[in-house]
Amino acid sequence: MTRSVKDADPRTLTLPLRLAGRTAPSRVLFGPHETNLGTGRAIGEAHVAYYERRAAGGCGVIVTETASVHESDWPYERAPLAAGCGPGWAATARACHAHGALVIASIGHAGSQGTSAYSQQALWAPSRVPDVASRELPMEMETGHIRALLGGFDEAARIAVESGADGVEIDAGQHALLRQFLSGLTNHRRDAYGTDRTALLCEVLSTVRNRIGKDRILGLRLSCDERAPWAGITPEHAPGLAASLTRGAGAIDYLTVVRGSAMAAARPDSHTEPGFNIGLCRKVRAEVSGAAAVVLQGSVVDPAQAASAIAGGAADLVELTRAQIADADFAAKLGSPARIRPCTLTNQKCGVRDVRNPVVSCIADPRSGHETGDPPVAGTDPRRHHVLVAGGGPAGLEAARVLALRGHHVRLFERDAELGGMLNVAARVPGRERLGALRDWLAREVHRLGVEVSTATEADLGGRRDGIGVVVATGSVAGPRNYVVHKGAVVLDVACLLRDPGTLAPGPVAVYDPIGDAVGTGVAELVAARGNPTTIISQDLMIGTRLAATGDLADATVRLRRAGVALAKRSVPREVFAGHVVVTDAFTGRVTEIACSTLIHCGHRLPDPGAVSSSALLAGDKVAPRTVHEAILEGRRAALAIAAGAVAT
Amino acid sequence: MSGRYPYLFSPLRIGPVTLGNRIVFSAHLTNYADGGLPTERHAAYYAARAAGGAGLIITEEHSTHPADRPYEKLIRGHLPEVIEGYRRITDAVHAHRTRVFAQLNHNGGQSSGLYSRQPVLAPSPVPDPLFREVPRAATAADIDDIVAGYATVARHCGQGGFDGVEIQCSQSSIVRGFLAPATNLRTDEYGGSLWNRARLLFRLVAAVREAIGDDMALGIRLCGDEAVEGGITLPEAVEVARWAETDGRVDYVNTTIGVATSTLYLVEASMGIPRGYATHISSTIRDAIDLPVVAAGRFKDPEEAETALAEGKADLIGVVRGQIADGDFAAKARSGPAGSIRTCLSCNQECAGRVGLNRALGCVVNPRTGKENVPLPPPRRRGRRVVVVGGGPAGLRAAATAASRGHEVTLLERLPSTGGQVAIAARAPSRAEFLDLVGTSLAECLREGVGVRTGVTATAGDIAALAPEAVVLATGARPRRPHWAGPLGRIADVRDVLEGKVVPKGEVLVVDDLGFHQATSVAELLADTGCAVRMSTPALVAGQDLALTLDMETFSVRAEAKGIVQTTEEVILSASQETEDTGGVRLRVLTHTTGSVTEARFDWVVCATHQEPEDALWRELSGSTEFEVVRVGDCVTPRRADAAVAEGHRAAVAL
Repeated sequence: MTRSVKDADPRTLTLPLRLAGRTAPSRVLFGPHETNLGTGRAIGEAHVAYYERRAAGGCGVIVTETASVHESDWPYERAPLAAGCGPGWAATARACHAHGALVIASIGHAGSQGTSAYSQQALWAPSRVPDVASRELPMEMETGHIRALLGGFDEAARIAVESGADGVEIDAGQHALLRQFLSGLTNHRRDAYGTDRTALLCEVLSTVRNRIGKDRILGLRLSCDERAPWAGITPEHAPGLAASLTRGAGAIDYLTVVRGSAMAAARPDSHTEPGFNIGLCRKVRAEVSGAAAVVLQGSVVDPAQAASAIAGGAADLVELTRAQIADADFAAKLGSPARIRPCTLTNQKCGVRDVRNPVVSCIADPRSGHETGDPPVAGTDPRRHHVLVAGGGPAGLEAARVLALRGHHVRLFERDAELGGMLNVAARVPGRERLGALRDWLAREVHRLGVEVSTATEADLGGRRDGIGVVVATGSVAGPRNYVVHKGAVVLDVACLLRDPGTLAPGPVAVYDPIGDAVGTGVAELVAARGNPTTIISQDLMIGTRLAATGDLADATVRLRRAGVALAKRSVPREVFAGHVVVTDAFTGRVTEIACSTLIHCGHRLPDPGAVSSSALLAGDKVAPRTVHEAILEGRRAALAIAAGAVAT
Repeated sequence: MSGRYPYLFSPLRIGPVTLGNRIVFSAHLTNYADGGLPTERHAAYYAARAAGGAGLIITEEHSTHPADRPYEKLIRGHLPEVIEGYRRITDAVHAHRTRVFAQLNHNGGQSSGLYSRQPVLAPSPVPDPLFREVPRAATAADIDDIVAGYATVARHCGQGGFDGVEIQCSQSSIVRGFLAPATNLRTDEYGGSLWNRARLLFRLVAAVREAIGDDMALGIRLCGDEAVEGGITLPEAVEVARWAETDGRVDYVNTTIGVATSTLYLVEASMGIPRGYATHISSTIRDAIDLPVVAAGRFKDPEEAETALAEGKADLIGVVRGQIADGDFAAKARSGPAGSIRTCLSCNQECAGRVGLNRALGCVVNPRTGKENVPLPPPRRRGRRVVVVGGGPAGLRAAATAASRGHEVTLLERLPSTGGQVAIAARAPSRAEFLDLVGTSLAECLREGVGVRTGVTATAGDIAALAPEAVVLATGARPRRPHWAGPLGRIADVRDVLEGKVVPKGEVLVVDDLGFHQATSVAELLADTGCAVRMSTPALVAGQDLALTLDMETFSVRAEAKGIVQTTEEVILSASQETEDTGGVRLRVLTHTTGSVTEARFDWVVCATHQEPEDALWRELSGSTEFEVVRVGDCVTPRRADAAVAEGHRAAVAL
């Protein structure tokens, strides 16, 4: 077996590839994903701009957001419906073809993994098996439903290719009715679609192939490991299945190997090793043996890893979705990969399967998903400004980067010895180390672009500064505590602990997490790993409630449980004593005591209290302590405001 | 004064505006807005309540500032384009001689930057418990800007034809942020004393009054008890109401209880909270001022409203969910047949439960709610002979709707009485009000002339003998034993308990696979009879969806009092009979998050788990060439009551 090739040249990814007689200009694929960019259930203008920006950045294949092939499927409010996607697909194809990229329309049906909340109709499924997450019980499809589904795939494929798409991708991946038919977990039928669980997929593929002809691309997204070996699709069985689908009337041109099902997160965050599908993908590709191109998927964000997968024979193309959400010019920058803005895999802004319908975006590039509203960052300004940036955290670094990029003279002052600000702290949370890559990239870019950086130096913000633009991004300080701390009690701010975990004394620790994001649970893991008996305290019904949005809630619970962390739910700290904390039940007021020699406070922070002149522009935590996303967004906005001369300097 | 409800149906003057009666459709979120603008759907929704006789309609909030966007489908009143939509609403309501006000609001710190991509603004940097985002403290210039925003939107409302405006000072509002000591830590003239904390409100009152002139009414909505630490209390609310009266610009005071982002279970109380629980607030405020005062809080029948008015507890009664459930609440109270109002259940499933998830407001008992702008098609053919099999919520709704559309309907129910699983579920004391769902449907069936035959187990032959043109199968579902249960007699379904088929005693495990009231209500019922109850669920929370319907707080309090223990992340692997003659059940339980397996014994195990459809008749009849056959509700696949009612209605409309 070929090992993955270390240090493969990232430019390997820029080699073209032929698919059904069409040429993908690079091996970089932008996979189908939820965006909430649509207008109603159509592919909208914002979609087109979003895809076009990636095509312009050198992406080889754009696969559009999965469209439902039948009205019985409405898995999230803005889920595209194929019947109405013609104009959007056409506009996307026109826009992306201008840059040479191929455009593939993903079509599917979520089956029992959808919701009846929007359609107010029973969900379709092979058998009446409730979805583990929603608990909703679907109806068992009858023959008429299966015919309607096939008709839906046929019609959706027709609309796609008539709109100018280069082909279609059939979804039998993590959220797919076709996968539910393939799987013993969800298909308990006794008819022909149960005795041969591949029957429906084969019918769909041959129907669609028949519709689109040989000169259009037929792709398949296939879960090759449902992570439920007792009845699900397994890596042992999937490669043979995949190979069989490259033959016959519905022979596919490419196969995207994915992992997951209702039983496992579709898009794991940074706690899962990037490229976790490489071994599986190589195995599938060996079995397929050239009969179809094979696409690697699965948290691949690093150019070297992607290139190694190609060079090492694991795949023919690589789905680099989050990598291109973070940097739309990913492919174009493969000649100098250090300049690619890294994806941190935190899923904070791109994980948008969320009832609030947030628009897809990125903590590091807030213009992602906002292509039609936010101006491009690059450009040159008529007048060169002199700008002072106070603070070298994400907000200050982004402000300095953007100003320097546009040709302005920038001096940046950071009071700490190192750049990075809160990113330095956040990157010490277990599983969040990749935030350090974003800090490193910002620092590299700032240096490359000629910003004059002074570390261990407080910016002098006093006095008048005529003719000089000022951006203040001096961050935050620890916030108030809403409980009584008695003499002898040790309460440690989470940022202090992360800066120097060595300060933690032995003995039981309580982590108070009123926010429920990745910090509290991560710190509890960190403390437990050091050997301190640990309890995590939250007022919520669950620990880490906000992790549901990033896909880590269930996994975080497992990690905490396995580390032996006690979970004090529905608990509000009231008084901290030398050896324990008194908490009350959030609903009933019942009082309990939790042993702790140290309480780690993970609460909200307050803006740095330093005075600033009225003409300075503030950004990030200095305005109000929030996340790295707001810091970068506001740092960028401040820079563009100064660059545009909107602010007197 | 005459008629059934003389107080309720007496007119009242509010400043420059006269109302025909005392029934108010108070402000509430609908998620009907699109692109920040009011829609046809809004107009039709409000018009239906106006047509149904409401005295006053107060629309949902109109945000007064571009950076205030706490949720996606907010009406952004600061956009000039809203005026057209306002006009559509006010024309539609005025056509029924009902008055309509607009609520003005800025949500302050009870918001996030998710949609606005701006920091949120509040009196002080105190994060809201729900949104958890640290706000930026408003500067003097920000406050001027906020005041100007209210004036702008008030002008838009005037141009849009509203009869008045209401300044939201409660639930979720920057005004409440300033009023409440916990969120206002300011040391300037907007913080500290109550007078200072109310300063923003009185600036808003002055600016809004100036914007609307003297021909429109101006109200404020005050909270009398936020039930949070450092929240607004009744004595302070009374003081603010007095000042409002003295100020002279305010025409009425609306009231409420609770905070939208932390004690919402008080704002939209479920059936877990006694009726009339908030009337002391309007009553206390009314005792202190002469301005008209609006009461709020789970008024769901006209009798209660009449009594509150007669006792002087309020001048007007907010009936929100009552009119969501039946848009003709007022008209039926005035002159409809007794018992004809389709009563709100206070179940919160499709109103609060959906709105909280960014979905359009609906109603379990009223499948037309939110769809008023989509007219029903006429019947394909009038007077068809229709047989409905099954008298649960789906069948009753199908029969009632079909009969009301002129069909000749016979309903066959296997049991001696109708109601299906709803009647069973309502046997749990905490769920008693749920019974109205089937009670009012049955009454409607009888009024509409449905032939209701109970105690009839319909066979295909029986149905054919009725010579139907269409058959609606609503045959429901039956419990399914979990795969691990085997034949053990001491493992039962929640339905067996509710139906009295088994009477568990001793130590009882209630298994919750469904995450709703099935397990929690039976756990309570069993604890009430002296059982030691443990609830176990594979999820991270037992009865998880009780949080959506705002039942979690009250259930948790009752559960603790009843000694109900809750364990999570558990899957039962197998069960066996105890060897001793105790008859108990021994279980092997996997904690799936750790992989550890433990053994436990119980006297009884009661399961709330997915059911099996009763679809034998469907299998038999679905190919029929003699008549049309449709199936609705749990016999399609077992779900919750909303699906049953919606499908029953839809099937009947399609006949």
